[in-house]
Amino acid sequence: MHPVVETQGLTKRFGPHLALDGIDLSIAAGEIFGYLGPNGAGKTTTIRILAGLLQPSAGRAAVLGLDVVRQRDLMQARLGYLPGNFVGYDDLSGEQYLRYLANLRGGVEWHVVVTMAKRLDLDLGRRIGVLSHGNRQKVGIVQALMHHPELVILDEPTTGLDPIIQREFLGLLADVRDAGGTVFLSSHILSEVEAVADRVGIIRDGRLVVVESVERLKHRAVRRMDLTFVGAPPLEVLSSVAGVREVTSSGSTAHLAVEGSTAKLLAVAAPHGIEQIVTHEPDLEEIFLAYYERTDRLA
Amino acid sequence: MTAYVFTKTLRDQRRALIAWSIGVTALVVVEGALWPSVRDMPNLDEFLAGYPDALKEAFNLAAMTTGTGFLNAELYTLVLPILFLVFGISRGARLVAGEEESGTLEVVLVTPVSTTRLLLEKAAGLLTALCLLGAVAGVSTLIASALFSMGVSPAGAAVGALSMMLLGLEYGFLALAVGAMTGRRSLAVGVPSVAAVAAYVLYVGGLMVDSLSGWLAWSPFHQALSEGPIASGLPFRYAWMVLAAVVVVAVAAPVFARRDIRAT
Repeated sequence: MHPVVETQGLTKRFGPHLALDGIDLSIAAGEIFGYLGPNGAGKTTTIRILAGLLQPSAGRAAVLGLDVVRQRDLMQARLGYLPGNFVGYDDLSGEQYLRYLANLRGGVEWHVVVTMAKRLDLDLGRRIGVLSHGNRQKVGIVQALMHHPELVILDEPTTGLDPIIQREFLGLLADVRDAGGTVFLSSHILSEVEAVADRVGIIRDGRLVVVESVERLKHRAVRRMDLTFVGAPPLEVLSSVAGVREVTSSGSTAHLAVEGSTAKLLAVAAPHGIEQIVTHEPDLEEIFLAYYERTDRLA
Repeated sequence: MTAYVFTKTLRDQRRALIAWSIGVTALVVVEGALWPSVRDMPNLDEFLAGYPDALKEAFNLAAMTTGTGFLNAELYTLVLPILFLVFGISRGARLVAGEEESGTLEVVLVTPVSTTRLLLEKAAGLLTALCLLGAVAGVSTLIASALFSMGVSPAGAAVGALSMMLLGLEYGFLALAVGAMTGRRSLAVGVPSVAAVAAYVLYVGGLMVDSLSGWLAWSPFHQALSEGPIASGLPFRYAWMVLAAVVVVAVAAPVFARRDIRAT
């Protein structure tokens, strides 16, 4: 069986700027794939090539076994796509807009649209021009999913969604996977992707740094924590715990960088009287650095 | 009204089309209302004889002693062509380049609809809008003629309106085509505007300067305006304007299909 997304040496130049540098990627059917990277790394460029909106400078990309350049329209018919900056027609209502796209696509069952809108708490009767950013994004999500596409490509889909709707949206993605579909979504925030993705690819400066399961990635992730103690922080004890990479302090608070699980650290620190724990999101840059360090060691 | 790209394109024109129709009708009728007083000027012939030859030819002033000639000189050789050009170019530039710059094109393109079909349906939408505006110009000319006894024949009004419509079509399709090839609205407006000014300069220059007169036939303004445009017969020259409009869209289609769509 074909991979649902397959790229070989995918390269894109914008003038002298090398935006993508030889991306090799393979995504199987029924997978939710998270595409992570800082802004400007090449996520949107990859996605827009896969959607048939940009032509690769070198290499090739196939979606659902169809070449994204030569068989573009056939491929686009089976694709759901949410751009990073989704813009609908301001003068149309959500319903008019979605009916227009449904007509262009064909084969959309309207009750699917109504159900999805209800789930996302979207009022289809209002003009897109008067909707909040989050509600416009919901219109974009519905148009990407309403025709039960075999592959859904979403560029930073959770932008502007409140947490409750975000959870509903992730539920919709899980439904796509459960129905045998495949999801490709990009983000620059790890926590957004780790909740739903099976595998994650990390891109930086146009290069795919790593493709790994979310479990293993989380294990490697470096988390920053602030532990505030009742008394003076036991710095020496903390720095001796496996996985702790960095310890500094200010007053009664210890600032730590921890790789992998934090359970052992907390077990060691607890007897010293913890007043407060603040955990910071694992920083993508630090995950990258961890990978670069490893690559450097191997080289 | 939004089943196809074509009907969506028409729907998007509806407000502009209504406003422009009112404007064109008002202009034609008001101009017609001036005719009785011009016709009754005692020494109109002598007055016109004093104009430079090139001006007489460019505006066909010699014929101004008839209602048809008056409308040709006062409306159909400058003001209406400019209006149809502005309508065609501004609407044409929006269709692809405008949608691309605003970001709405992105999702519409990721459907089974190909870039070529999108381009053709949008071209058909612009053609329809220009036909409607042309029909408004023709009908209002007949109304003005009837109100102020100008003696314009229905066939003459139809040919005049067709000529305006074709001018708008040629440059409107050029705007659509440049927009489809570049995705930039500024170019989609700029290129046809400069081309139209150049063609007009060539037209007027050809009438005044002998060495340019050989090139006159190439100017769409010559094709549209000479011997009329309100005239009795349908000139073969109009076919060149249709051909040019078709060619620019045909050239744009493969470029549009292969180029990168600009992200917003």
